[in-house]
Amino acid sequence: MLDDYFFVDRVKNISINYSRLFFDLQKIKEYTSFCQLDDFYQVFNQIILSILLDKEIILIDADFSEEEKINLLNNLNEQKISFESFKEISLEKIKQKLKTNKNWRLTLFTSGTTGRPKGITHNKSTLLDNVRIAYNKKDDIWGYAYSVTHMAGIQVFFQALLNGNTIVKLFGYNRKQIIESIQKDGVTHISATPTFFRLLLPNESSFTNVKRITFGGEKLSNSLKKNMVDVFPKAKFLNVYASTEAGAIFAAEGDVFEIKKGMQSFVMVKDSILFIHKCKVGESEELVLEEEWYNTGDLVEVLKEDPMTIRFLSRKNEMLNVGGYKVNPYEVEDILRSLKAVQDVRVFGKTNSVLGNIICADIVLHDGHNLTKQEIVSLLKGKIQDFKIPRVVKILDSLEKTRTGKIKRS
Amino acid sequence: MEEKLNGIITELMEYSGNVLSIEVNEETNLRDDLGLDSFQLAELTVHIEEEFGIDVFEDGLVNTVGEIYKKISDAG
Repeated sequence: MLDDYFFVDRVKNISINYSRLFFDLQKIKEYTSFCQLDDFYQVFNQIILSILLDKEIILIDADFSEEEKINLLNNLNEQKISFESFKEISLEKIKQKLKTNKNWRLTLFTSGTTGRPKGITHNKSTLLDNVRIAYNKKDDIWGYAYSVTHMAGIQVFFQALLNGNTIVKLFGYNRKQIIESIQKDGVTHISATPTFFRLLLPNESSFTNVKRITFGGEKLSNSLKKNMVDVFPKAKFLNVYASTEAGAIFAAEGDVFEIKKGMQSFVMVKDSILFIHKCKVGESEELVLEEEWYNTGDLVEVLKEDPMTIRFLSRKNEMLNVGGYKVNPYEVEDILRSLKAVQDVRVFGKTNSVLGNIICADIVLHDGHNLTKQEIVSLLKGKIQDFKIPRVVKILDSLEKTRTGKIKRS
Repeated sequence: MEEKLNGIITELMEYSGNVLSIEVNEETNLRDDLGLDSFQLAELTVHIEEEFGIDVFEDGLVNTVGEIYKKISDAG
């Protein structure tokens, strides 16, 4: 197993086997709880180290600017410690520590509903519930298509690590590079958003090495699923309902989810809204609980009581899903309003065949000011993450209001 | 129509800070030659839809600039 690869990044010509991973970890003597790195391998190292040390780890997106980071972390203390380097590290030891750890927690910073990104803290029960360790999974090779700061990315990381699998980096790469990595590195499993899979269309080749495809983060259209059968002819398909707060919760082959027996007592539907019990979601100050239940804001239809079977109707909240990333339109509006030339602004999503939604902004400028679309975008760069920046910007004389005087959002 | 579309593509590239170093023709591959990512492709569809009233990526089956020409002229 030690000769098996842990991490492969074909584009950067990096391949690291498990013995090299353990060797690298054994050299480290210092640990800090804040982790904001572009390099996925370094982030994985830091996560493993936090487990071995039984310390909290806080993952921050690499594209958060200093200004954003200061705002985000103002209540948090960075822990820095020095320690005797580990003499022996093995997968067994990591698994053992995960079982016995008392303090270990993992916090992810994501875009929030109140304008400011919020941290969600997970403990091992919310993170590892869905990890399946089995002998027949030992040769799986995971195409890594999520960011490491994405809940789904963390889940794929644990699924791969704890089975001694290989992680092949696909995230952030272009179509040609992705296709080459899937083929040459023999990827067998890919978990990604529909937007990621749409990037592979139209398919010039099909991948017979891929055995399992998992869709998550956005609604999956029937046409995409049909196209994917041609691209991955040997694969089984799984559709996952997951949230940043709770991680992967249900899985199904289509859009109808049957809730497993072990999960049923943690799921409740009230007035067509899906609630999840608090023990299955991460902790956050900004998570509103109704007694012991977390309101997902998702509207569902109950098709059958026993076993509980549901279908998702729509998402109730106003977060825009852009290629699997959640964007809060109010956060983007606030940032735009902070620009001197901007008088009024409306940020909204427009249905888009490539990304699901595309962020649009209608902007009214103060008299005597002049700003081009390009200038607006460059002013936003570094202030908010790239995926939140409006791609379609229109400068208007006035904004259309609804009959009640509110800005029209869709 | 082709001129208009090339104009949209040139503007899109400039907008994202890339310089268009090749001449756009029917053979030009959107992802491989121009290096467009999902966000830029999404933006491209919006501009094409505004200009020509057709969603060229609806079925996800577009690779080259020539294929867009064809979709637009088929629809028109």
